[in-house]
Amino acid sequence: MPQLNPDPWFLILSLAWLTYILVLQPKILSNKSMNHPTNKNNEIIKTNPWTWPWP
Amino acid sequence: MNLTFFNQFTSPQIMGVPLIMLALLAPSAMFQTQNNRWLTNRLSLLQLWMINLFTKQLMSPISKTGYQWSIILTSLMIMLLMINLLGLLPYTFTPTTQLSMNMGLAIPMWLATVLTGLRNQPTASLGHLLPEGTPNLLTPILIIIETISLFIRPLALGVRLTANLTAGHLLIQLTSTATFTLLPTMPTLSMLTMVVLLLLSILELAVAMIQAYVFVLLLSLYLQENT
Repeated sequence: MPQLNPDPWFLILSLAWLTYILVLQPKILSNKSMNHPTNKNNEIIKTNPWTWPWP
Repeated sequence: MNLTFFNQFTSPQIMGVPLIMLALLAPSAMFQTQNNRWLTNRLSLLQLWMINLFTKQLMSPISKTGYQWSIILTSLMIMLLMINLLGLLPYTFTPTTQLSMNMGLAIPMWLATVLTGLRNQPTASLGHLLPEGTPNLLTPILIIIETISLFIRPLALGVRLTANLTAGHLLIQLTSTATFTLLPTMPTLSMLTMVVLLLLSILELAVAMIQAYVFVLLLSLYLQENT
């Protein structure tokens, strides 16, 4: 089974961690939400829908 | 050289240059960085909502001190999900079929949860080794069993992901080979095998998403015990 060949093990391991830390985490961190997380409130807020700008 | 069915799992190389970096960076490209605009577009919003929903779901059973882990667990989930899903396309390499990557992710994460628990609340963490309400006679045996199960957790975490994905890819390759080989001689059987292949592909789609989720969920469970 080629997965058990220990040659590329360190390469795969280190590259996986490096991608995880240096690429993915900043991407996920850039998703800033607009509001603080709060508990649910029972009132339904009426908002007017707005037109979205197409990308 | 004779190709076996396992050769799809060798780490890809072109003339000695390892291509694993491409296979690891491509899934990150599936998820866009948000820009700093107040009003973004529909896709960015959907992405933000998905992340918020997932993080909320995952972190709700965990205490406040464990909230520092939310970025770790969410980005891990996104990475595993994207890698698994992209690996279902033909001719792509799935890094999560490699035992090295999965064990390399599972062991440090599990160890981090255990060490967090031992550092902040050592009595409670060690107390998890003896479930409540056990008869006094069984105490020593049960502690040994619980310690063994504690140490098996990272192995199970890594091997579960590897084995599920490897088995899925292997099955897809086998059924597609069968379909192709049967086509000239027994076309009806070939069509039936094709139906099996289609169903299997749907299963693999589900498995890809589920396995990523299970990995992260179990980590959050271990975290819950220890924070």
